Amino acid sequence: MTQQSETNQETASSMDAGLPVFSETDMIPVRQPDGTLANYPPVEKWDDWVEWDAKSWPKKVARRYSLVPTVCFNCESACGLLAYVDKETFEIRKFEGNPAHPGSRGRNCAKGPATHNQTYDPERILYPLKRVGQRGEGRWKRITWHQALDEISMKMRQSRKQRRDGIVYHVGRPGEDGYANRCITAWGVDGHNSHTNICSAGARAGYSFWAGFDRPSPDHTHARVILLISSHLETGHYFNPHAQRIIEAKMKGAKIITFDPRLSNTASMSDVWLPTWPGSESTVLLAIANYLIQNDLYDKDFVRRWVNWEETLQAVADGQLEVDMAETTGDGSLPNNFDSFDKVLKALYSEFTFERAAEEAQVPEDRIRATAEFIAKCDGKLATHTWRSASIGNLGGWQVARCLFFLNVLTGSVGTPGGTLANSWNKFVPKPFKVPPPLETWNELHFPHEWPLAHYELSFLLPHFLEEGRGDIDVYFSRVYNPMWINPDGFMWLKSLQNEEQIKCHVALTPTWNESAWFADYVLPMGHAGERHDLMSQETHAGQWIAFRQPVRRVAMERAGKEVQYTYEANPGEVWEENEWWIQVSARMDPDGSLGIRKWFESPYRPGEIISVDEYYRWIFENSVPGLPEAAAAEGLSPLKYMRKYGAFEVTKDNYTPYEHDIPGLSTDEKKKLDSLIFRLAEIARGLARDVLDLKPEGVVIDSKKRVLKNGQAIGVMIDRKPKVGLNTPSRKLEFFSPTLRDWGWPEREYVVPWPLESHVHPDHIDRESGEMLLLPNFRLPTLVHTRSANSKWLYEISHKNPIWIHPSDAERLGLRSGDLAKVETEIGYFVDKVWVTEGIKPGIIAMSHHLGRWRLQEETGVNPGMSSLAHLDEPTEGNFKLNIIHGARPWESYDPDTSRIWWEDVGVHQNLTHAVHPDPVSGAHCWLQKATSVTKAGPNDKHGDVWVDTNRSMEVYRQWLAMTRSAVDVSPDGTRRPGWLKRPLKPVAEAYKLPEKPFGR
Amino acid sequence: MNYGFIIDNRKCIGCHACSTACKSENEVPLGVYRTWVKYVDTGIYPDTRRHFQVTRCNHCANPPCVRICPVTAMYQRADGIVDFNPDICIGCKACMQACPYDAIYIDPDTKSAAKCHYCAHRTEIGLLPACVVVCPEQAIIAGDTDNPSSVISSMLANVDVTVRKPEQGTAPKVFYIDGSDVSLHPTAVDRTPESFMWADVIPLHANGGSETHRDPGVSRKENGSAGQADSASNVQVSASVLESTGTGSSLSLRLSQPQGTPWDGPIQFGASMAEHMVQVAYNAQHKIPWHWPVPAYLVTKGIGAGIFIFLSLGLGLNWFSLDSLALVVTGFISLLFIGITTGLLVHDLEHPLRFFSILIRPQWRSWLTRGAFILVGFTIVAGIWWLLETGAYIGVWSDGTAETIRPFALWIGLPLAIGVAGYTGYLFAQAEGRDLWQSALLPAHLLIQAVMAGSAVLLVTFLFLPDTPENVIDIARTALVVAVILDLFVILVGEFTIPHASEVAARAAHDITHGRYRNYFWWGSIGLGHVVPLGIAVVLALTSDQPIAVAIAGLCAVAGLYLYEYAFVMAPQDIPNS
Repeated sequence: MTQQSETNQETASSMDAGLPVFSETDMIPVRQPDGTLANYPPVEKWDDWVEWDAKSWPKKVARRYSLVPTVCFNCESACGLLAYVDKETFEIRKFEGNPAHPGSRGRNCAKGPATHNQTYDPERILYPLKRVGQRGEGRWKRITWHQALDEISMKMRQSRKQRRDGIVYHVGRPGEDGYANRCITAWGVDGHNSHTNICSAGARAGYSFWAGFDRPSPDHTHARVILLISSHLETGHYFNPHAQRIIEAKMKGAKIITFDPRLSNTASMSDVWLPTWPGSESTVLLAIANYLIQNDLYDKDFVRRWVNWEETLQAVADGQLEVDMAETTGDGSLPNNFDSFDKVLKALYSEFTFERAAEEAQVPEDRIRATAEFIAKCDGKLATHTWRSASIGNLGGWQVARCLFFLNVLTGSVGTPGGTLANSWNKFVPKPFKVPPPLETWNELHFPHEWPLAHYELSFLLPHFLEEGRGDIDVYFSRVYNPMWINPDGFMWLKSLQNEEQIKCHVALTPTWNESAWFADYVLPMGHAGERHDLMSQETHAGQWIAFRQPVRRVAMERAGKEVQYTYEANPGEVWEENEWWIQVSARMDPDGSLGIRKWFESPYRPGEIISVDEYYRWIFENSVPGLPEAAAAEGLSPLKYMRKYGAFEVTKDNYTPYEHDIPGLSTDEKKKLDSLIFRLAEIARGLARDVLDLKPEGVVIDSKKRVLKNGQAIGVMIDRKPKVGLNTPSRKLEFFSPTLRDWGWPEREYVVPWPLESHVHPDHIDRESGEMLLLPNFRLPTLVHTRSANSKWLYEISHKNPIWIHPSDAERLGLRSGDLAKVETEIGYFVDKVWVTEGIKPGIIAMSHHLGRWRLQEETGVNPGMSSLAHLDEPTEGNFKLNIIHGARPWESYDPDTSRIWWEDVGVHQNLTHAVHPDPVSGAHCWLQKATSVTKAGPNDKHGDVWVDTNRSMEVYRQWLAMTRSAVDVSPDGTRRPGWLKRPLKPVAEAYKLPEKPFGR
Repeated sequence: MNYGFIIDNRKCIGCHACSTACKSENEVPLGVYRTWVKYVDTGIYPDTRRHFQVTRCNHCANPPCVRICPVTAMYQRADGIVDFNPDICIGCKACMQACPYDAIYIDPDTKSAAKCHYCAHRTEIGLLPACVVVCPEQAIIAGDTDNPSSVISSMLANVDVTVRKPEQGTAPKVFYIDGSDVSLHPTAVDRTPESFMWADVIPLHANGGSETHRDPGVSRKENGSAGQADSASNVQVSASVLESTGTGSSLSLRLSQPQGTPWDGPIQFGASMAEHMVQVAYNAQHKIPWHWPVPAYLVTKGIGAGIFIFLSLGLGLNWFSLDSLALVVTGFISLLFIGITTGLLVHDLEHPLRFFSILIRPQWRSWLTRGAFILVGFTIVAGIWWLLETGAYIGVWSDGTAETIRPFALWIGLPLAIGVAGYTGYLFAQAEGRDLWQSALLPAHLLIQAVMAGSAVLLVTFLFLPDTPENVIDIARTALVVAVILDLFVILVGEFTIPHASEVAARAAHDITHGRYRNYFWWGSIGLGHVVPLGIAVVLALTSDQPIAVAIAGLCAVAGLYLYEYAFVMAPQDIPNS
């Protein structure tokens, strides 16, 4: 016996903490046969796991746990968690990773374990609240859930009876797939609004125009070259799952290249860091493309097979795409063959030299050349990713995604192992029971006619639209969303949220206080990651999985034989889960079924009765997930029990190049017919076989673009005389030349093909001589998530402030040293923050993380006092708003002794308030990058955290950007509002696409 | 079985998952850290990099924290894990001083020392530590380095690794692949910049330090050492050092710095120097463990022991004799100061009530334990003697009884008193995190200081005692003067003739003489503590004898001693260990 274990025995016997002490034989050894240690308790022990209490150690106090898998609800990655629920108290002791989860594979980032902080946040809201007095006055009374349900469902019912666009569900992080959308569809209102246009609209638009999918899914694991725009090793879309696989590839020798004006952790881990000037990314990417093109280093066979080069050549021939062919072809003739397309590419992009790119991006030319040489050798294994960052930062940022994906296309790295795949191939969203039919209406506040190509809702312009009188809202649900804080121009939101004519009823569904909820009429507490049901899937790698978020205490109680009818019975206080809330509120909205809503919320198992959450997921797992019932049966479990046990299921693996698949679902006759048409392809392409189309339009035919149509709908495409599924574009191919952009009002070269667009922060627009700088305001930290991590003490302890990064040369010019206060003026106002002088930022640029700067208006209530400042809000003159910080974070007393140990004060500055809105005229994305019209050392009257904004200027800037749009009213080729093939959340019926008779402003 | 960690910096992305997983697993309170990811940013745009370093207990094969712990609260398990027991820790913070890696903290809940313990409660049942399991990159490799089938042992055989501060002889078992000097070496960056990238910094002297300002002449990196703006000014600083010397030719030479004294340039670590940004962007917050009670304890201990040494030698060797009252009073003062010493020691414990654990469950290799027994032994012997004298004075027993036993008590007490005065030198030597304290001269120096402080307090005491024989005062005065001169000699010789063996010790010494503590040192110790008493002595020698002036000289020496000890105790704690 060792000295140490003697000590343990001694203390164990001499001291008794009153906790159950088990003998050592109770422990389940999990050591591997070779003596090494294990990551997780084996799954078969999850129902009854015993381990030593960490806090009592080295006293051996055993604790029994029920291990329940769930899904993290911090960022969007949907990583697996495993909750350790105490079997006696049902206290959640900790969250670890779920080893059964195919995306996160048992590992997590800092935010995973911090889920525990959120669960036990002493400041969380535990009961439904209704405002007393004026909106924003900060007086609340506790109400019952019955009252909340009755009052809100009645307002919804009234609105629904009058109109189909009066209810809005505005969601920040959905954290689930399809549940809420199904409810909205069931209500029959075009009420979905999202955060997409402040996040990913630019990238989505770029990818959509190429390939019809709107999110990239890089297969990092197998890549040879990984090209990242922005910091995907610390913050990316699917941070932890992607970071795992990027580093795996790195360890196998892959080269990592990162574009970022700021030294991120990712940039630091990269082989090549390209600190490009924002807006120059497309030029750099095209210089790389040009290198591949001019040196014949691109995958010509792939491009010939899958790119719409014939359509492109036609556009050149028709004079729609201007190319100076004189040099390459001599006489300018362009026969209809791939060689001509090669010549077009060579002519088009010859101007994109490394020299030009280096000059525009202000980066060393050799780094661009090195990048190009790496990519040339990628062998079809180029994984690329852009999300937020440049594609959401710049005017025309959607072209960044397009230029980036161009490199995938040129290297043949589309859907290949190590290439970039589509989200739709790697994400699996199973169908729920009884899907309501598409909506029959169109919400003008979400999809106004000025932005026919927007991806998607112009969500951040809602207050500007309301201000203009475009409409009003009867019932506005904000959910996991803090619009006044997170959107640009927050004081415009403040105005709308305060205006009961514009937003008649605001219901905030939130677990904790936030700045916007303060201006709600109802604040309804919803559960955290371990307190709710959701089904999620994300495109983390080349495979598909689903993960099941569970209320872990409920599951543990049920395992212990307790009956739990509703999740709130197992949650703290009266915290509900949204699934049950939406079922209840929807059913009450239509108690007699007369509105046709109730029937969608009736159980598939108990006719006429309201569905339970168990039944909802049971149906999905039994009917909609291929392979799951079989896997469950193999373990003697029902599919629901299987998912409750493992929390995740892998649907497919290695889902590569699905566009190469044969067209599924064709009958033998249809196949025969296709075979008979193949030999006439040339005729068809030349338009000589029109008869084929005309004769049998209802059957399977091939059209002049070699698309396979069935009953008029494109279902595939002929590639090398073989029918393939193809992509979800109109041509079923990769659209280098976009007929959609041409047809919808953007026919110029810089829109129809991958091409740089001049950003609003192009060096020509930033007069650095006169003191203007570029503010990079939208980067993330690995430890925080937007405004939702201000309930996590462990995360805030590591990162709680967002100083302005500034290069020493700029700091010297301005007389600033680290810690000094600087005043940054934007188009509409200013803010004051400390500076962080660093060589890790490009000269001429200042950068601030966008997570921090939370505030509350009352000392006692509001955002957590350790994570927010107490602020004073004032409107001294009409439209002029001031926010002054009274004091920063402070310790306070609560049941958690840690709250009295808050040692930091600076919790950052709310910069977004001073950002003017910049809606991109094509993608509708808010172009986050800001021109700092002046950066100076703060004056004696400037205090840390001061913010001032003139919302009259806000509207002016809005109108400047609105003027750049090309309205569907003017450009629509067919009288519709939006190209039918482009994605839209909750696509309505075709009739709803028709342009209105009286569009706003016309 | 021998557990260790590899931190693979080729993979670490600095995400801090290990940090929060550890907080979660071990319920670590805010403000203290078992593991954290240090960030250091280096370079000149666009050639810049961020270095991440997972930083934690090294589970040393030869752990100084275990050696110094008086009660086996820190212990090394047979499997190589260095674990701790919060239930028996007395909170003396000696382990924090012994650890050269800043790995130990006092838990605000338990008030006991705590640190990474390799999740011993998990390894016990076959599970990996929480930080290992959570790591997205599997950049933390844990396992038995003795087990040939473990990943860690094959990696150690095949990959180059490095450790933090191998020169400390602690044999650390956290191995770094691609470890970087700028983050491995704590003094490559400013310990307390005014801010981190995303986090506030608690000033090191926020609590307990009398100075909170940053002295520009002192802290050479007080400006955060960031970037070109600062580099430019630093380059100028360097340039002044690059002045040519009078070689008589046009050849320009660098003036070498004194041995071990830091270069005033932007950065130096080991032999490397770079004129570019090296700034710590994140690190754990650290607090100084020992404050005023420790230097105060050194002084009171010196007084108590010094008085006894003076009496035992003087009476034992018949240099003088004292009357019964004088013996009672001086004996009482000696015991009083030893009592205060013990009081200060107990006061400084986080668990004062567990003080007796040192005696009940001693860890004999700890000089805290040994010192406690010396103190107790001395208190018993001196106490018995004092009772004897007091009994005789108030007539409980005869003077003869006291006289018979007195020599035995004094001669037995003498070595104990010397031990009381000097043992702290051995204790400080065990504090391996503070190189300046590792001095072979220290026990002797403490003895000199004891004589100095003891005689000084006696000279004050004699002012109030009637009929003190003149020769006693003379001898005390002589002892004071000789001790002050010796002390001055030891300080000056120790400080200015022999360079310090390590950079860390040199930095601390530099802080004492030229840095934050220079006023304590020059005005306090040298001026008030030595020059003034010696000046008074010289003046008195030339003029007439003034007992009050002598007493004042003594008090100045004691005050100076405290200020010296304050600088000596505090300065090494300012030097970063992580």
